[in-house]
Amino acid sequence: MGTINSAMSLIGGALDADQDALSVVANNVANANTAGYTDEKPDWQENAPITVGGIQIGDGVTETGATSQRDRVLEERLDQQQQIAAASSARLASLNNIQALLTPDSGSSSATAGDIGSDITNFFDAFSSLESDPTDNALREQVLSSASTLAGDISSAANSLNGQSAALSQNATGIASQVNSLTGAIAQLNLEIESTSPDADAGTLEDERQQDLSQLSQLIGINQVATENNGLSITTTSGQLLVSEGESFQLTTGTVDGATDFFLGGTDITSQLASGGGQLGGYLTARDQDIPSALNSLNQIAYYISTQVNTDNNAGVDAEGNTGAPVAGSITGAWTLDIFSPPPTYAANLASDGTDTSGAAAAMTVVMTDPNQIAAASAGNGTGDNSNAVTMAGIANQAIVDEQTPVNFYSNFVSTLGSMVSEVQAENTAQNASVTQLQTQNNALSSVNLNDEAAAMSTLETSYQAASQVFTLLNTLMASALNLGEETTVS
Amino acid sequence: MRVDPTYITNLVNSLDQTQANEQQLSSELSSGVSITSLSQNPVGAGENVLLMNQIQQDDSFTQSASTVGGQLQVADSTLGDVVTQLTQAISLATSANNGTMNASDVQSIGSQIAGILNEVQSLANTSYQGQFIFAGGGTGVAPFSTSNATSPAVTSYNGGETVNDLVLPNGQKIQLNVPGDQLFLAGGTNSVFGALNALVADYASGTVNTQQAVSDTEALSSALNYVSQQRVTIDNSITQLNAASSATTNEQTQLTAAQTTLMQADIPTVSTQLSLAETQQTALEDVIAQLESVSNSLFSKLQAG
Repeated sequence: MGTINSAMSLIGGALDADQDALSVVANNVANANTAGYTDEKPDWQENAPITVGGIQIGDGVTETGATSQRDRVLEERLDQQQQIAAASSARLASLNNIQALLTPDSGSSSATAGDIGSDITNFFDAFSSLESDPTDNALREQVLSSASTLAGDISSAANSLNGQSAALSQNATGIASQVNSLTGAIAQLNLEIESTSPDADAGTLEDERQQDLSQLSQLIGINQVATENNGLSITTTSGQLLVSEGESFQLTTGTVDGATDFFLGGTDITSQLASGGGQLGGYLTARDQDIPSALNSLNQIAYYISTQVNTDNNAGVDAEGNTGAPVAGSITGAWTLDIFSPPPTYAANLASDGTDTSGAAAAMTVVMTDPNQIAAASAGNGTGDNSNAVTMAGIANQAIVDEQTPVNFYSNFVSTLGSMVSEVQAENTAQNASVTQLQTQNNALSSVNLNDEAAAMSTLETSYQAASQVFTLLNTLMASALNLGEETTVS
Repeated sequence: MRVDPTYITNLVNSLDQTQANEQQLSSELSSGVSITSLSQNPVGAGENVLLMNQIQQDDSFTQSASTVGGQLQVADSTLGDVVTQLTQAISLATSANNGTMNASDVQSIGSQIAGILNEVQSLANTSYQGQFIFAGGGTGVAPFSTSNATSPAVTSYNGGETVNDLVLPNGQKIQLNVPGDQLFLAGGTNSVFGALNALVADYASGTVNTQQAVSDTEALSSALNYVSQQRVTIDNSITQLNAASSATTNEQTQLTAAQTTLMQADIPTVSTQLSLAETQQTALEDVIAQLESVSNSLFSKLQAG
C-alpha cells in the first residue's frame, strides 16, 4: 500500500521532470535561429511500479533527456541533391561567362556589327569590294582593317577563355583546401561522437557533423557510409576515401601539362572529381570540358581562315607585282605575303595531317602592314586583275572549317553553345527546386517551430501547476495526519 | 502535420526570382533587343549570324555596285565617243575617195584623219580613278602607243588580256571590262588603229590609190561595226548591274525585316509580361506582410492571455 510519503516523492519527481522538459523547450527556443540546430524533444520515461502487498502502485515519471528530431535518410538525400545542384550552379556561372563573350549582334548594318560572325562576313566582304577596283588603296586598307578586327576579336575571346580557365583552377584549388579543413573537422567529430555516444544520437555533436557534411556537399561530391559506434566514413562519389572514422585524407594539387590537377594519396582524380558533383565538380567540368570545347571551335575558325587566306594571298600577285615566297630562315612556315600570322602549330602540321588547331585563336594576329601586299591579281596577270580577290572573297562560301563555311560553322557553334547553356539552366532550376523541396521536408521535421514550443510550454506549465497543487494537497494531508486531529500543532 | 516553419524564406526566394524576371524584361524594353544572350534563344542566335552575313554581303555589294557602275558608264560613253570619231573619219575618207579632190585637199583630209587617230588613241587610253580602263590587267600603264617609224604607222597594245568580274552575292558574275586590243586591234578588217593608220598613209602624198583607199575605208567601217558590237558587252554589264543592285536592295530590305522580327523585343508582349511580373511581386509582398503579422507565433497570444 502506498504512503503519503511515497506519493509526495512521486509528485516531486513529476515536478523535476516537468522542469527538465521545460529546459529542453527553453533550449529549443534559444536555438530557434541557430544554423544546423536540430529540434529536440524531451524523453519521458514511466518509472517501474512498486508492488506492495501484492498491489502494484505506479511510481511516477522521470525525464531522461532529449532526442534530436533527425531523419538520416532525408539528410543524406538532401546532401546528395545539394551536390548535384551546386555542380550545375558552378558550371552555369562559368557557361554564362563564356556566352557573354559571344553576345549576339543585334544591329543590321555593318556599321554596328560587333560579333565574330559579323567580323568574318566583313573580312570576306572587304575582298568582294576589292573586286570592283583591285588597285584602290582605300579598299586594300579596308581588307587589312577588317582582318585586324577579326583577328583581334577572335584572339581576345580566346584569351578571355584562357583567363577564365585559370580563374577556375584557382577557385577549384581554394575549394580543395576548404574540403580538407571540413574533412579534418568531421574526422575529429567522429572521434568525439564515438567516445561520448557510441550507440545513440549524439545531439549537438551530431548537429555539427551534419552541418559540416552539408557544407562539404556544396563543395564536392561525396558518399557517406555509417560505421560502428556512430562513426562515419566519407568517400568521393567515385569511391576515394576522404574520411575514415577518425582519420582524414588531404586533397592535394599539382600541375600536369600546364593545368592544375587534384590528387588523393598520389592518385590523380581530377576527371573523377569533375563528374562527381559539388562546386568543385562544376568548376572542373567547365574548365576541362566547356571551355576547351568553345576554344576548339574558335581555334578551328582561326586556323582554317588564317591558313586558307594566307595560302591564296601568297599564290597571287600583289600591287607591286610580287608573288609570295617562304620567308628565309622561318621555322613557322611564314611566307612573304601572309596576311595573318601562321598558326603556332602550322609548321608541325605541314608534315602531319594539318588538323592540330590548338592555340590558333589566341595567337591570331595580322602580320601584314602594307596594304599593297594584298594579292588581288592572279599570277601571270597584270596588277589590275581582280581574279585572286574573287578567289579570296569566295573563301567565305567554301566549306573550309569542319566541312562548313566559316559563317555557318560560327552560327552552329553559337547555337550549340546557347543550347547547352539553356539546357544547364533548365537542369539547374529543376535541381534547385528539388533542393528546396527536400529542405522544406527536412525543416518540417528538424527545425524549431515556435508555435510547437509555445504549445509544449503551455502544456508543461499546466502539468507543473497540477503537480504543485497535488503536492500542496498532500502536504495538508500529511499535516492532518501528524496532528492527529489537533489542527494547530503542525500547519 | 508539421510544416516548415521557415516558409517565409521560400517566399523571399520567389520574390527574388520575380525581380530577376522583371530585370530581364526591363532590359529587353530599354534595349529593344529580345535575344541578349545565346541561351535565351540558341536557334535564333545562330539564325541571326546567317541573316547578318547575308545582309552585310548585300550591303557591301550595293557599295561596290556604285563604284563599278561609274567605271562601266565611263567605258560606255568613251566607246560612244569613239564611234562618233570613227563615223566622222569614214565620211572624210569617203569624200576623199570619190576622185574629185586636189592633192592639197586630200592631204588635208589625211591630216584630219591623223587627228582623229590621235583622238581615238587618247580615248582608248582613258583612265578612271587613275586606272586605264581598256588595259586588261595592266591598268597602271597607258595601253596604246603609235610608232611612226614605218608607213603606215603602227599602233601597238601594251596592256593585259585579263577580264575582271564582279561576283554578286548570289554567285552570278558581271564582266567589268573588255581588254583594249579586243576593241581596237582585233584581227583582219576589224582593227580600228590598223584601218586609221592605213588611211593616214593613203592620203599622206596627196595622190590617192582609190582601190587601196576604198578597201581601207571599208575596213574602217567594219572596225566601227565591231566596236559597236563590243560595246554591247559593256551595256549588258550595266543592265545586269542595275538589275542586280535593285534585286539586292530588295533582298536586303526583306532580310533586315526578318532580322528585326527575330531580334527585336515585341514591346506589347514584353510590357504585358512585365505588368504580370509586377502584379506577382505585389501579391508576394502582400502575402509576406500578412504572414508577418499573423506569424507572431503562439507566444504572443499566450502573453496576451
